[in-house]
Amino acid sequence: MFQLPKGNPLFENLAVTKLKLTDVVTKLANGSFTGYASFTFPDATGILVFEAGKLVTTFFKTTLGQPLSDFEAMTALAEQMANSNAGTMDVYRLSKDLTMCVNSLLQGEVLYRSQELVLIDIKILLERIKNERMNGCLRIYTDEKSAMIFYKEGNPLGFFHDGSQDIDSSPGESHQLAQDPKAKLDLYTSVSADELMAHDLLDVINVAKIWDAAVARKQAELERMNRELAEKDRMLSLDLLNDLENQIRSVYVEYVGNVGRGIIDKELTTAGGNTCLQDQERSEQFVAALEQAAKLLINVKKIAEMKEKINALLAQARA
Amino acid sequence: MELALEQLQGIPTIYLIQLIFWLLAGAISFIFSLGNARIWTSISMGFFLILVSQFYLLNKLFYTPTVATFTYIIGTVAIMLITHGFLEYYVFCRTFEITGRKQTVYLSTMLLLLLSWVFLSINPEPSMFTVRNVKMVENAIWVFLTLMNLEIIRKIYFSIRDSAIAKVFICFGVVFVLIFLWKGSELYLQVFQWDRLWGNIAFQLDLDELEFDHAIKLDDSEDYWQRISFARQVYDYAGMLAAVAVSGTFAFLYRLLK
Repeated sequence: MFQLPKGNPLFENLAVTKLKLTDVVTKLANGSFTGYASFTFPDATGILVFEAGKLVTTFFKTTLGQPLSDFEAMTALAEQMANSNAGTMDVYRLSKDLTMCVNSLLQGEVLYRSQELVLIDIKILLERIKNERMNGCLRIYTDEKSAMIFYKEGNPLGFFHDGSQDIDSSPGESHQLAQDPKAKLDLYTSVSADELMAHDLLDVINVAKIWDAAVARKQAELERMNRELAEKDRMLSLDLLNDLENQIRSVYVEYVGNVGRGIIDKELTTAGGNTCLQDQERSEQFVAALEQAAKLLINVKKIAEMKEKINALLAQARA
Repeated sequence: MELALEQLQGIPTIYLIQLIFWLLAGAISFIFSLGNARIWTSISMGFFLILVSQFYLLNKLFYTPTVATFTYIIGTVAIMLITHGFLEYYVFCRTFEITGRKQTVYLSTMLLLLLSWVFLSINPEPSMFTVRNVKMVENAIWVFLTLMNLEIIRKIYFSIRDSAIAKVFICFGVVFVLIFLWKGSELYLQVFQWDRLWGNIAFQLDLDELEFDHAIKLDDSEDYWQRISFARQVYDYAGMLAAVAVSGTFAFLYRLLK
């Protein structure tokens, strides 16, 4: 994703996790904002372009996905904002003409894409742009750098290159890049600024509903994950409890004989199941009951040994 | 003192030996009853009471019909206590339930003995017949409950046969076989009026000297002296061996459980 001119920054590096898309769009629309809001995520970028408070362009692209626009872009942006734990928003005010150029970059008609500069007569191209009174953006780039020339009605509006904060009036970087034999070229055109303003995506896109749906989906997903985690924990806990019960049973039977199986079953039933092993007080009562039964079967020394082993198992399980 | 010595000399030697062994058995079982599980307390207290009931062997020293009768009642309470203990152990083997308290065992036993003494006290002094009847009842209860205990011990053994304590129940089985022979032989003699008590009664009544038509022969022991002699020997030696077996069993049990 290429850099866009920053213009006059209204907000920079606002954490997306604290924002609601509905509030952002409403604020920019009601403030008759002209410019763009850029949402940067670790693996995606979303851009909303406004012209006098009208949403003229929506753009969303993930690192590996295809670019989206209009409704799909807004939905994708809402999903990303609702689900992401990281991301920032920047809002830059631009002139009406530059906003048009940004729009052309994002959604304009592509006349040339990745065209090698050496194969093009740049002079003829520039003349065509002038003669056809094109509105749009000419992008010249190599693998390391890029530069843009914005046009309004065939005339250059300004020059922008990587690393600069604002539009330059002199070509500078653009000329240098054009000399590079490996340079490539993209040409985007769009409608005029006035025609752009005729459309307002907010008339057809219900941002509030999209946002609420995204949040609801996120919540449902969170609840589903929590339920799954809880179920997993419960199953794990059950497995652990069953293991612990079996270990205690083995120790008891080892000392008192096979009659110990019945004693353990009876005492666990009395204690309300093997969940008693999770509670300190209940497990102490359980062990005391086992001890009382064992007094009829084995000697005091062996009872003490057995109790020690069982208590060690319980302590280990609780840890 | 001289009188006491003289009377002591009159007691058959085998009775004295028997008493010594029962003393040993009683002491061991009493010591075992302290600080042990309630069920074992019931059983060991019961065997201890046998020792108390055996003091009738010394009846020449302090014989009164009331005391003699009371010792027989103690003997009856003893086998009831023992049987109760084994029954509870069997219930434990089947249901793994242990309920009740030691104090209840002690107090109930004391209460029963006390009530028995009161019963004897408020009634006329027992005659020779009464004394003998009570002795017969005691022996009958012993024989019956001994057979029952043998069956209970068998079931207990098969429930816990892989436990270390299972061997003790084999020992108890031997004890009860000997007790069955001991009490059974005396009951046999009593049923056919060949016991010493009846002999005393027959002598006292002396009806043989009275010439009645259709007189009942009160003492026909001379006609069956061989089986009587055999039964008396079984009684004497089985009693002694039972005492030895009880001592050994409780000593073994003590070693296993302490």
